[in-house]
Amino acid sequence: MNSTIPTEELRSITLSVYRFDPGKDKKAYMQDIEIEVPVNKDLMVLDALVLAKKQETSLSFRRSCGEGVCGSDGMNINGKNGLACVTPLSEAIKGEKLVVKPMPGLPVVRDLIVDMKQFFDQLEKVKPYLITKDEAPEQERKQSPEEREKLDGLYECILCGCCSTACPSFWWNPDKFLGPAALLQSWRFIADSRDQATEERLDDLDDAFSLYRCHGIMNCVSVCPKGLNPTEAISNIRKKLINRKK
Amino acid sequence: MKEKDNRPVYLNLLAIDLPIIGISSILHRVSGFALFLIFIIAVWMLDRSLSSEEEFLNLLEDLNSLVLLKVIFYLFLVGIVYHSLIGVKKIISDFFGIGEDLRSGSFISWIYNVISLLVSILLFIKFFI
Repeated sequence: MNSTIPTEELRSITLSVYRFDPGKDKKAYMQDIEIEVPVNKDLMVLDALVLAKKQETSLSFRRSCGEGVCGSDGMNINGKNGLACVTPLSEAIKGEKLVVKPMPGLPVVRDLIVDMKQFFDQLEKVKPYLITKDEAPEQERKQSPEEREKLDGLYECILCGCCSTACPSFWWNPDKFLGPAALLQSWRFIADSRDQATEERLDDLDDAFSLYRCHGIMNCVSVCPKGLNPTEAISNIRKKLINRKK
Repeated sequence: MKEKDNRPVYLNLLAIDLPIIGISSILHRVSGFALFLIFIIAVWMLDRSLSSEEEFLNLLEDLNSLVLLKVIFYLFLVGIVYHSLIGVKKIISDFFGIGEDLRSGSFISWIYNVISLLVSILLFIKFFI
């Protein structure tokens, strides 16, 4: 019996990638890499990068789960931040060219890998964990379904950094403005009925930079791969801050 | 001593996508700064217009004959219109939470930008045609 192996029809696209090797390069540069992708099948941007890495083995990028859960492969794809593993090539590509750069505003360690220290330093400031003052109950701290519902759209953040690195206020003041990701987490714990440190959390945010540098540009909302809304969270904190002063 | 960080930072404002709300916000800043600069000339014009009837008429004459002054005055009015409209949009958003999702925010931004553009065109026709 004759069996034929179906051959895929391929087309060539250009992947223009940001390159920087601290051991060799004084300046970053863009490198064009030609790759062959299937015509009748859509790939993710991460797949395209893996194909490019087969040719340019030194090309570096972070990746782990490959399905939008771990948040490792945040990068700037044709001008818009996103996770390479869940961004379809067909949506991202313009013409026959795909431009991939590191997330803006953070120091580049190598190629598409950025140093996320600034991002996590800001996250640390909002104390992203439950703070309680009462003695721990014998079993769990209970929450009604309505109280739990308030955390929807907040707890899903995977800390990929796409939002904060797409925020102009974070670009200009990465050390003073906490950024959308950290502020979303801040609201996640302020809104949590079990948390008992609301006043302290609000005190920490009550200065000219930490929160009030948000100008409602909403690029954070535009790029969030999980469809979350940090602008709304920031607005909720702002309302809390204003109301407690009345 | 802190070591100097020589690592590159990617930040090309012209190559990074921003939603219409972001572009409006940047233009709001730019128009605010421009107004601040032009305000000096506007105050001088106000002072001149209030000093006497003759000076007021002279200023009107200058506005008709000096193209540069006319352009500056036109930019001043366009700047005020844009800055005020986007400012009002921000106030509404801050106080009433309107336009806090991307869709409604973008829609409102488009409306304000189109209104600003129409007013600018009308002012241009009034001033120069």
